[in-house]
Amino acid sequence: MIIKGGIVYDPANGIFGEEMDLCVDEGRMAEDGKGEVIDARGLLVMPGGVDAHSHIAGTKVNTGRIMRPDDARLGIEPRSGVCRPCTGYTVPNCYAIGYRYARMGYTTAFEAATPIIEARHTHEELEEIPILDKGALTLFGTNWEVMECVRDKDIGKLAAYVAWGLRSARGYGVKIVNPGGGEAWGFGSNVKGPNDPVPNFDVTGAEIICGLAQANEMLRLPHSIHLHFNNLGKPGNYTTALETLELLKDIKPSRMRQVVHVAHMQFSAYGGTSWRDFESKAPVIADYFNSHNHATMDLGQLLFGSATTMTADAPLEYGNARLTHNKWSNHDIELEESSGVVPMVYFRKMLVNAVQWAIGLELALLTRDPWKVLMTTDHPNGSPFINYPEVITLLMSKPKRDAEMATLHEQLPKRTSLGGIERELDWTEIAIMTRAAPARILGLEDKGHFGPGADADISIYDLRPEEVDPSRDHALVKKALAAAKYTIKSGIVVSQKGQILAAPPGRTLR
Amino acid sequence: MRTITITPLKAFEISVEAEIISPDKFAPLSLSQIRSLSIWQGNRKRKLSDLFRAEGDDGPAKVEDVTITLQGDFSRAKRIAEGMTAGKVEAEGGVGMHAGNNMKGGLLSVQKDAEDWLGREMRGGKITVRGNAGNYLGAGYRGEKCGMRGGEIEVGGNAGAYLGEHLCGGSIRVHGDAGDFPGAANQGGTIFIGGSTYLPGAEMTKGTITVRGRARVLPSYQKMEIMSIEGEDFQKYVGDLVEKGTGELFVRVGSS
Ligand SMILES: [Zn+2]
Repeated sequence: MIIKGGIVYDPANGIFGEEMDLCVDEGRMAEDGKGEVIDARGLLVMPGGVDAHSHIAGTKVNTGRIMRPDDARLGIEPRSGVCRPCTGYTVPNCYAIGYRYARMGYTTAFEAATPIIEARHTHEELEEIPILDKGALTLFGTNWEVMECVRDKDIGKLAAYVAWGLRSARGYGVKIVNPGGGEAWGFGSNVKGPNDPVPNFDVTGAEIICGLAQANEMLRLPHSIHLHFNNLGKPGNYTTALETLELLKDIKPSRMRQVVHVAHMQFSAYGGTSWRDFESKAPVIADYFNSHNHATMDLGQLLFGSATTMTADAPLEYGNARLTHNKWSNHDIELEESSGVVPMVYFRKMLVNAVQWAIGLELALLTRDPWKVLMTTDHPNGSPFINYPEVITLLMSKPKRDAEMATLHEQLPKRTSLGGIERELDWTEIAIMTRAAPARILGLEDKGHFGPGADADISIYDLRPEEVDPSRDHALVKKALAAAKYTIKSGIVVSQKGQILAAPPGRTLR
Repeated sequence: MRTITITPLKAFEISVEAEIISPDKFAPLSLSQIRSLSIWQGNRKRKLSDLFRAEGDDGPAKVEDVTITLQGDFSRAKRIAEGMTAGKVEAEGGVGMHAGNNMKGGLLSVQKDAEDWLGREMRGGKITVRGNAGNYLGAGYRGEKCGMRGGEIEVGGNAGAYLGEHLCGGSIRVHGDAGDFPGAANQGGTIFIGGSTYLPGAEMTKGTITVRGRARVLPSYQKMEIMSIEGEDFQKYVGDLVEKGTGELFVRVGSS
């Protein structure tokens, strides 16, 4: 296959919008190719999208589906062509996940939290998601064995346990959620910060995080620890974030990458002492990332409308359920982890939601190095992944942000710095935040770039980067990003103009 | 005015998804276009004219000027008048499940019985039924937090269980009896039941339920004063206290 004349963005290889041909041979990028020719003259060409943090498979995802037949109705697509029937909006069925990512030009997605004991369920579902290459991060933050090794300061044994856990659960990397909190939740309480002792274990969250980070580097794992902070989703929690990041700054990475990846930073960049004086602390957090190199983040951008919150942070979900008076599932409590699910609607007119919306955008725009920031919505916590084009266009267009802010709560400008931010991301930065950086942060050497031998995962959009001004033409850009002109997965055209043409199974990376 | 008459060609063994039978869908189309609209029966896609005869006035018309008359048995035709905004649908017999769901305006009148889920999640307009209505009249569908939000439903006969479940607004008037749990999780709608019922207003937080016949009242309701409504004495209750509710329940005195 030869893709002719596209305007190629391949930031990992120093290509920033150059007109060039791409060649594919046997599912990989090659020096030359033959056979099918795809005319991409003047069009935007990027590597296939990589989502490093999404909730697409496993017990809590499925619990979300079971709890929300109302959501199933919002995304019904009958069987057609190669596509099996689809349901759901915030909690789509397995098929819909594959097709909808592929339509947007995404070819890889990672499930961000799987308890070891529920791993079989996760993999059953991952196998049913068509097209995408997938992986699952395994939860270690409150495992008894982990806490015992940490208490005994036996990092070698801890590394052996982590290796066993990853192999047994076919996991890709180490996920830590509210360390210590899951254990406390088994007794109806929570930890208030990384220095709180975990009930019945003589350890703290801080010790668990540092121990797992050291074990992670001892094992030279491709990905760093992937951390969901304590106190997530609570006013004033930015101090917890900074305090926790400080713990990790002296750990040496075993590879050319971060020491810690922070999950959905938006939910941990909150100021104020309560929801009444709630405000953004995104500038402080962004400053920290600008002056330190050991951490990366994904946004967990929140958008207005329907979402389903689901996390291994079960006490957080209890709080959500109390706050919203909505349906609540308390899950996995019999395991060494815990989890919860609560449906959610984010309202434009609600100041708290508007501030949360602004925080995600601030984080992306104030952090100078796009290699440190991944564009995510923490699907489906902040918004379903189907709304990524909305997030990207907000990041690329100041006029769009201004128009949006004008419809929001009048107090908003006092609670966030977003209105004063002029920066508009360009295609290179978007290609980094949605392709190159997630691949590098996860340690996926064959993803997110077009170097010879890389997986031939390619997205081509019906957009002419040399003619279109995303700042002004944001509506056009959003439409084009929602349905790639071509999505190519391992050298096969899987989607064309939003229509799925082929649904190969995809691999599970581990 | 434009009147279109729809008649089933035969009795359906497998039910038909008839959401296209609505003034909004028919208004801009000619008769021949209406006849060739696609319609699902079970998992088979068919043309409207494969299943129904469509007669009447030709040519496009404004939605509010369209009247659709349904002749014959429509009890296995589901979702009639789904989401309609104006105009009229007049069924000379009964209608199948989910008729008038999500309706926003206009009139749906049914001379005989309506099946389950009539007017579910309705937002406006009016539905009248001469006969009986099934379960979940004006309710929210599975998992939904809000049922009917506005408009009016009137039933001459009886209604089934879970009448007005998750009601968020609007009013439902049933002249006969209602099944178990009417107005469950009512959040602000009005229900009148002419006959008797069982355990009204479970988990009601707001709204009003009036029962003129007998009613078994939940123990989580607080007994208040006796009030006179249109010359008759009603015992007032407030609840459901389980949900810290401020809903009002009136049951006629002496009917228990
Ligand atoms: Zn997450």
